[in-house]
Amino acid sequence: MQYLRDLASARELLANLTLRDIRGQYKRTILGRLWSLVSPLSSMLVYSFVFYFLLRATPDPGDPSGLHIFAVWLLCGLLPWSFFSGALSASMNSIVGGASLITKVYFPRVVLPISSVLTMGYNWLFEMGVLVIVLCAVGGWGVILWLPLVAVFMVVLAAFATGVGLILAIANVYFRDTQHLVSILLQIWMYLTPIIYPPSLVQVQSDRIGGLFGTNVTVMNIYESNPMFHFVSVFRNLMYDQRWPDPADVLACIAWALVALVGGFLMFTRKEKRLAEIL
Amino acid sequence: MTETAVHVDSVSKKFRLYHERNQSLKSAIMRRKISVHEDFWALRDITFDVPVGSTFGLIGSNGSGKSTLLKCLAKILYPEHGSISANGKVAALLEVGSGFHPELSGRENVFLNGSILGMSRKEIQRKFDDIVSFSGVEQFIDQPVKNYSSGMYVRLGFSVAINVDPDILVVDEVLAVGDAEFQQKCFQKFEDFKAAGKTVILVSHSMGTVKQMCDHAAWINKGNLELVGPADPVIAAYEATYPHQG
Repeated sequence: MQYLRDLASARELLANLTLRDIRGQYKRTILGRLWSLVSPLSSMLVYSFVFYFLLRATPDPGDPSGLHIFAVWLLCGLLPWSFFSGALSASMNSIVGGASLITKVYFPRVVLPISSVLTMGYNWLFEMGVLVIVLCAVGGWGVILWLPLVAVFMVVLAAFATGVGLILAIANVYFRDTQHLVSILLQIWMYLTPIIYPPSLVQVQSDRIGGLFGTNVTVMNIYESNPMFHFVSVFRNLMYDQRWPDPADVLACIAWALVALVGGFLMFTRKEKRLAEIL
Repeated sequence: MTETAVHVDSVSKKFRLYHERNQSLKSAIMRRKISVHEDFWALRDITFDVPVGSTFGLIGSNGSGKSTLLKCLAKILYPEHGSISANGKVAALLEVGSGFHPELSGRENVFLNGSILGMSRKEIQRKFDDIVSFSGVEQFIDQPVKNYSSGMYVRLGFSVAINVDPDILVVDEVLAVGDAEFQQKCFQKFEDFKAAGKTVILVSHSMGTVKQMCDHAAWINKGNLELVGPADPVIAAYEATYPHQG
């Protein structure tokens, strides 16, 4: 309880640290905040060229929106993913990076990883805003009706990222390997999530192979155990298809977010007091 | 009997001296353990009370554990045994300008640093003019702090910290900042503090400072409390162990 009260009183600190990062991020650049759009745009171009133009991955048209544009379909999954992976890396490095503060001032340490997630979230909000404009421009006006739900799931994904980020932040203090390992794992994770290809391709292969090792477990079952699978599906349903997401996906997202958040906080609070010593 | 501001109750703090520290997973797995270490007690069973309204000096030679004790008081480190209970809001001044972002202006950094030190936005707004005029950098307050001279940087950081207005202020040797005029201002501020009935806990190597400012002192030697009480006898006892410097 005391901990939660401390956290509540650190609200302003959280806001100020986040503002510091947001303001400091693109200082002395000519393009400023536009830089945060450049990275998803360049990935969009590369992936569209390789996977759509060369390899001919064709996702189903949006149902019922009728949208049939690979680049837009891609962005609906890519933007949540790049937020997630950016938030994980940033919160993982926040404690080691904030060592000078931690060893000199007392404040609830959890503020540091949370403010890194919020900074990433701010950029993501900006990117999603641009995506909504693009969706409207190509005829997907309906997305506007779904914006409240999109916002809710943005919060759920941020909660999931925070939980995992808290665990990684602690792990990184003990073993600096974590940051290198995670950057590789994130890359693998991205390709194991239906971001640049439709999940139907996995389904086809899964049906062809059938149960693995004489069990009923198929490739698809394993594939769907990835929490990001469900998040990406929900964002695509809401923004590209513009319909209610599958309740199973919704439940999976919320459950993963809760588990990660509770686990992250438990681990973080257990180790928090010794951080100043170990850093 | 005066009231106590801080009650330090048999505090012990242990550090681990690592003979090998495996900060990579590979070595941790290969050797099947994270580290080989032995314990080092930086503080052993320290007990004393700091009376309300006093200026309390912690003295001792290098490596005696006084900074460790200060960090325990500031809640940065947590003691293995014992407890520290403070009667009021504690602010620690172990470093000036914590969390300053070089690209942001002095104004933005005052708000940032203030909230790191636990001030609310309204509080900072109310004290903003005091902070700026105390630091003497009015003219440059909207410039990025990376363009500040090191003196200006430290003065601004110190001004924020001194305006936190805690009941108990914990200070490491940061008094040696700024020019003579600024130091004079700082001493004045500590005097005001004292006059307002606030408690100051100070760590210093400079016996002159301690003599001038403190009315109570504790002498720590190799993690043990040697002597605690009114400042003059404690300082005399401490200095007696270094006859050459006397």
